[in-house]
Amino acid sequence: MRRSYLISALLLVGLASGQPGATYITPELQRLIQAGGQNYANVLLKQAPDQALCSIHRNRLPPEVLGPFIEEQRRLIKYPEGGRLMGDWKRGEAIYNTLARGNCFSCHAGSPLNIGGNVGPSLEKYGQRGTSEAVQRYTYEVIYNPWAYFPCTVMYRFGHGGLLKPEEIADVVAYLLDPSSDFNTKPALRR
Amino acid sequence: MGRFLGLLVALVLGLGALGVLAQEEDDPVKEAEKQKQQLLEQSGGILPSDLYVQQGEELFKAKRGPKQASLEACDFGRGPGRLEGVVGRLPRYFFDTRRVEDLDSRIRTCMIRLQGFRPEEIRRSEVVAIAFYIASLSNEKTMYVRPLLPQEKQLYELGERLFYLRAGPRDMGCASCHVTYVGRRAGVLPYSDLLGDKRVASHWPAFRYSNDQAWTMADRIRACYANLGMPAPDFYSEPIIALTLFMNAQARGARMDLPGFIR
Repeated sequence: MRRSYLISALLLVGLASGQPGATYITPELQRLIQAGGQNYANVLLKQAPDQALCSIHRNRLPPEVLGPFIEEQRRLIKYPEGGRLMGDWKRGEAIYNTLARGNCFSCHAGSPLNIGGNVGPSLEKYGQRGTSEAVQRYTYEVIYNPWAYFPCTVMYRFGHGGLLKPEEIADVVAYLLDPSSDFNTKPALRR
Repeated sequence: MGRFLGLLVALVLGLGALGVLAQEEDDPVKEAEKQKQQLLEQSGGILPSDLYVQQGEELFKAKRGPKQASLEACDFGRGPGRLEGVVGRLPRYFFDTRRVEDLDSRIRTCMIRLQGFRPEEIRRSEVVAIAFYIASLSNEKTMYVRPLLPQEKQLYELGERLFYLRAGPRDMGCASCHVTYVGRRAGVLPYSDLLGDKRVASHWPAFRYSNDQAWTMADRIRACYANLGMPAPDFYSEPIIALTLFMNAQARGARMDLPGFIR
């Protein structure tokens, strides 16, 4: 039974060579989700094809899906107007350290203001990487759309998901990279 | 009686809050055990969950509702009035409702059918208290949820699919944390290993000493969704029952710790 679900889902995906039109939600699953109430169903049934791929492959994409997936995720990245990838680190500090905004500290160690989690890698003294264009761009893009680098990771796609505006992401980049940012001048808070 | 119970709860919880301030253990299971011992010493042997159990027993045995009936004739799967160990086989299919029901939804069913309550009259706090009472009679019994009937097998499979589903602006999905990041922390507690650690699903309903809440598995599931900015499935709804069935089946063979006592 489970196998037949998987095969039919894979067929739908396979036909489209791993990208558009992937579906995970079968008619039975759709009925189940609808029984959870209107608000719940509204969000879950809007599952996007890339979310469907991560669901189908249980967050580990096979090699033949990986390439087109990453390409598509890279295409989704948008940049701030004017192209400045490093904004104001003070504003970035507030975003990074606020649960209802960036919530970065919950998963990453390194903030001098909050004890960090260890779901993501430690970002302690992230600014040691310097502020070259390449480092700024990588940092910005990972925050805007982590799936372009780490497909199906748990980290929110802040830009793509509409959780942060491009300018706000640039502020977080500054918080991480600016040599004068508290993130780089003050010690990280520890458990 | 209600006021006395309220005062007692306040007293015990106040003492509990003091306990929480003490030095924390790194292992959440050990830490919970320590907090439990402290609470027991401070309160003279009464845990807050005992009060919910007592309240639940009173509600269960009282003649209530339009039909002025107790819940003693309610069948949780072993026959009317037989409550020992029933939590270990829930959710399961019930022939009278033709539905797979979990502990919460079965209590609700009996409040409607036996006592004559209308669905909108059913108070969540009462269902939780009754769930605590029934759970107390399954303590140390074995979890043996195993989908056998076609309806159970189908719901189990849907629960598994839902567990891996990702959606919403945060790409939320149960498995993204509870499979991929087991043991890691985002916040205070490490993510529990729902597929590998049989203790995880076998201690619900549970009392949470860190914020004085009595939760069933439904509350736990709904909070998981809410924590990631997702609308939660309605209480007693099928997505909750499907996820619970999937998770409880992973805990098959565990000795249940009920009501649970957790952070």
